[in-house]
Amino acid sequence: MEDLKTYAEVTWCPGCGNFGIFTAIRNAIPLLEQRGIKRENIVMTAGIGCHAKMFDYLNLSGIYSLHGREITTASGFKISNPNLKVITFSGDGSGLGEGLAHTLFAAKRNMDITMILHNNGVYALTTGQFSPLTQEGWKGPSTPKGSFEIPFNPISLLIEVGATFVARCYAGEVKHLTNTLVKAIEHEGFSFIEILQPAMPYHKWEEFKDNIEYIDNNGKSKDEVLKIARQAHRFTIGIFYQEIREVYHKSLYGSFNPVKNSMSREKRLEKINLILKP
Amino acid sequence: MVNDIFTFLVGGKAGEGVKKAGSVAAHIFASIGQRVFQMDDYMSLIRGGHNFSIVSTSTRWISSYYMKADLLVNFDKRSCETHINDLADGGLIIYNSDELEDVDGVGIPFSSEAEKYPMKNLMYGVGAVAILASAIGFKKEQMNESIKNQYPRGIEDNVKFANTIYDMVKGGCQGKFLLTKGEKVRPIITGNESISLGAIAGGLDTYFGYPMTPASSILHFLAKQTENFGLAVVHAESELAVINMAIGSTFTGARSMVGTSGGGFALMTEGISLAGITEAPILIVLSQRPGPATGVPTYTEQADLSFALSAGHGDFLRIVASPGTIEDSYYLTAEMLDLVWKFQTPGILLTEKHLSECSMTIDIDVDKAKWAKPKMYQGENYKRYHNAEDGISPMLFPPSKEVIKWNSYEHDEFGVTTENAEMIAKMHDKRNKKLKALVEYLKSQYTVNIIRGEMNTNLFAYGSTYMSVLEALRYGGLNPTIVQPIFLSPLPTWELAEFKNQDNIVIEQSSTGQFTTLLKEKARLKIRTTIKKYDGRPFDPIELSKKIKEVLQ
Repeated sequence: MEDLKTYAEVTWCPGCGNFGIFTAIRNAIPLLEQRGIKRENIVMTAGIGCHAKMFDYLNLSGIYSLHGREITTASGFKISNPNLKVITFSGDGSGLGEGLAHTLFAAKRNMDITMILHNNGVYALTTGQFSPLTQEGWKGPSTPKGSFEIPFNPISLLIEVGATFVARCYAGEVKHLTNTLVKAIEHEGFSFIEILQPAMPYHKWEEFKDNIEYIDNNGKSKDEVLKIARQAHRFTIGIFYQEIREVYHKSLYGSFNPVKNSMSREKRLEKINLILKP
Repeated sequence: MVNDIFTFLVGGKAGEGVKKAGSVAAHIFASIGQRVFQMDDYMSLIRGGHNFSIVSTSTRWISSYYMKADLLVNFDKRSCETHINDLADGGLIIYNSDELEDVDGVGIPFSSEAEKYPMKNLMYGVGAVAILASAIGFKKEQMNESIKNQYPRGIEDNVKFANTIYDMVKGGCQGKFLLTKGEKVRPIITGNESISLGAIAGGLDTYFGYPMTPASSILHFLAKQTENFGLAVVHAESELAVINMAIGSTFTGARSMVGTSGGGFALMTEGISLAGITEAPILIVLSQRPGPATGVPTYTEQADLSFALSAGHGDFLRIVASPGTIEDSYYLTAEMLDLVWKFQTPGILLTEKHLSECSMTIDIDVDKAKWAKPKMYQGENYKRYHNAEDGISPMLFPPSKEVIKWNSYEHDEFGVTTENAEMIAKMHDKRNKKLKALVEYLKSQYTVNIIRGEMNTNLFAYGSTYMSVLEALRYGGLNPTIVQPIFLSPLPTWELAEFKNQDNIVIEQSSTGQFTTLLKEKARLKIRTTIKKYDGRPFDPIELSKKIKEVLQ
């Protein structure tokens, strides 16, 4: 299946922002292959929600994980076989609601995975409840009078807790998204991309298109970037932050690979006998 | 002394080296070829309170401590008052004469002597070892050798302090409890160390944990062994992370294990269910402590059995087994790792604080551990959930040219989500076939430990209660048949059928009798009565033998 599609029937609503993301990731993978990353080394996880249908459609290996746990499943891949390039598809509900702690810890650890956060600002699959990224006043089935919680700012939040590549993209700018995906996946460390996307029953493309702007200047220090991220309009796209920091698995065991270098039975038993010597 | 058993009890505040003194005592006994059983009783605090360590030793195999101590060393008033009734006939109490007087025993001014040293709190334990050394007739040189080996920090002060106490305790103590030399020097390990070593022997590559007593020491032991065995050991943010990371780990072909206790296990159930549908081979160690909720963190109970048997939503195969002794923990952990990989389903190694944290001298045949190895796929057009005859689909791990899809949604054979009625039923059937295959396999394995006796009554126990029962019977000179199911799910009913209508008694540490219920419901056994203990403490062999005698009438 050369176009990276499975036989699964695509069930996103017509015109959904997820199509743009699907196209971008299928464009990004051949580019990564050209740059020396083997396709069989790319593995993925997905949470549960509209974003996660990606798992069924994209012809890559991985685990269709539980709601919110996609980040931990992905961490399990990387820790066990660091040769793998790990991508986790997540949503605003999955990654910043149910799985918020996991997202923050993966960033804190600088786990070498790429988290693609489909931000449609709503719990679409469960009929339109407000999400951790929904703007105040959202009238969904769980907030008939309008939501009254303030949304997270995922960009400043993730920079603050330790992500080493933080970007925002837009599902309607596929070329920019593709290039950013390539950079994020190539980045060694925890890379986070928030992708703005409309969910068709709830939004119009115009609400996004008309407001999208690119970041014009990058901060030099983390503090400066945080300031920019806090002040930026929520439709501001681009790479906000990138830094080099030791990744989790290297701090844990250096250049070891638990799966590839797994010790033989004989050697293990020999060493156990040593431990059990009175 | 109780029969041929000598028991040493040391008690004091947390931070005074109580546990260490117990462990040093155990090593001293083992070094002269004696068998040892050590139990630490401690409170959920860092400093103060009352802790004690109790070590029973004999030249024969011993599977419990005895609460009646021959030599009782108390660092403070509280310990002395707590244990005054724990003295065996002919036993000796050592008390802190700075805090108490008029005790029928030997007074040692622990506090004023320890005060002379910079590490004063840590001197108490050293003092206890000196008293023990004197009581069992160790020469000073022998004692100093032990002190040097076991207390490497501040050797000079430790030796000096030990010699002072040794001289002080002379009258009335020296040589009071001479021990026989045993035939073989054996290693001492805790249940959790045995579980950890068994896992390593079985092929463990990765371990994920979140601290929770009494499972934490698995995480600690393995973290220390990371480089020695080439493991990845991770302390994650929660048990939710732990179980899901471990499932991710198995996807890459790594043999993975997690460990926890009640509340942490409750969080893991979501992931156990994920392992059920994705068919992830994951081993979970559940070390029980008294519940519900936070319960009593540092004590023991067997009240999570029914929870373990049904952990996780939905229909899927769970393998649950429980080791009866510290030695068996080694073999059973490796065997469970092998089983979860053979049958690609979650397995739970059910144990208790009593087994996890007690220490014993052991004879382990290291080579007898099983080795976990999955059935691998050869060829092209891989289907992760191929509907094989026995329900077991061959595995592949990334990197692979083939696409490998594990799915938490119901799925087709390739692993893509399905809502198709026929496929849903087919996949249930596929997974359920694994139970049949597992039962067939287990029929050829050692699943129930039966020790045939000469009485008309059978005693049923599982987990560490088995050790308590053995010791109680030995103490009481009783020999009913003992039945210890090692596997609890699937319950080996084929092995239990013969006992159906016989006179059966259950011994367990659950207030509602969960094990009794299981035997009644699954094996259709008639149970005359259940001996229960649910105060957080393990059975004492003397008390238990009395209770068994009562019901055997």
